[in-house]
Amino acid sequence: MTTETVTSSLGVLIFSTDNTHLYQCDTTEQFTLVFFGQKVVFRFCELIVFKSKIRKIDLFNLFNTDVPDIELIHLPHCDRFFALSTLQILELRELFSGSFAMMELNSIIQRRIVRKAL
Amino acid sequence: MKDILRRHQVLSEEITDILNKQVKIEAQSSASYLALAAWCDVRGYDNCAAFFFKQSEEERKHQMKIFRYLTDMECNAISPAVAESQYEFGSLREVFEKALEMEISVTDAIHDIVRACRKAGDIATEEFMRWFVQEQIEEEFVARRTLELFDVLGEDKIALGMIEERVLHVEYDGGEEG
Ligand SMILES: [Fe+2]
Repeated sequence: MTTETVTSSLGVLIFSTDNTHLYQCDTTEQFTLVFFGQKVVFRFCELIVFKSKIRKIDLFNLFNTDVPDIELIHLPHCDRFFALSTLQILELRELFSGSFAMMELNSIIQRRIVRKAL
Repeated sequence: MKDILRRHQVLSEEITDILNKQVKIEAQSSASYLALAAWCDVRGYDNCAAFFFKQSEEERKHQMKIFRYLTDMECNAISPAVAESQYEFGSLREVFEKALEMEISVTDAIHDIVRACRKAGDIATEEFMRWFVQEQIEEEFVARRTLELFDVLGEDKIALGMIEERVLHVEYDGGEEG
C-alpha cells in the first residue's frame, strides 16, 4: 500500500475501484467522479444525493428476470441519465463506501490534529 | 486535503433520512386534521371544526420547521407525498379518538428521532428536537382532555353541545397551578 497522495488536474484522488475514481478539488470544493471513462462533477450535496440514490436501489429487484437488469438514475444537477448495470451499481457502492471512509478519516485527522492546533 | 465533509455535511445521512420521514408524518397529520375538520364542519360542530383546522395549521408549521432546518443545514429536504386521509367516522367521539391516536404516534416518532440523535452523537439536532418533545406533551394533553369531555359529559345531544362550547378552551397550563 502506498501512502503518497495522488493528485491530478481533477484534485486529490480520494478512492478508486477498477473502473471508477473519485477526486476532490480543494480550490473549488467540488468532486469529480470518473466512471467507466465518463466524467461528472458534483458539489458536495449533489454527491450525497447521488450516493443515497445508489444506496436505495433494490438489487434483488434487478435480479428478477422479468425486468431488465438496468437501473436508470437521473442526475438533476447536470440533467444527465445513467443507465447502470448491477455490476456498475455494486462498483459505485464500493467507491462510495471507500470514499466516505477516507473522508471521515480525513475529518478525524483535521479535528484531532489540524484544528486542535489553531 | 480539505475537510469538505465537515464543512458541508452538518447532518449525517441517517439523521437526514429520519428528519425527512418526520416531515412526511407532520404533513400527513396536517392532512388528517383537515379531514377531521371537514367531518365536524358538515355536521354543524363548528367549534370542533375550528379546533381541527387550527391543529392542521399547527402540523403544517411543524412540518415547515423541520423542512427549514434541513435546508438550513444544506441537506436534501424532500417535499412529501401524502396519502389519503380517513374521512369516515361513526361519531364525534371517534373523531377525537383518532386525533389522540395520531398525536401518540407523532410523539413516538419524535422520541425515535431524539434516540437516533443520541446514538449518532448529533447534539445540535437533539437540541433542535427539544421544542418538539415539549410541543407533543401539550398536544397529547389537549387531545386527552378533549376526549375526557366525552367521559364526563356523555354523548347525548346536550352533552355534544357542551363539548362544542368547551373544545376551544382546552389548554395546557404547563403544569402550573391555577
Ligand atoms: Fe406536530
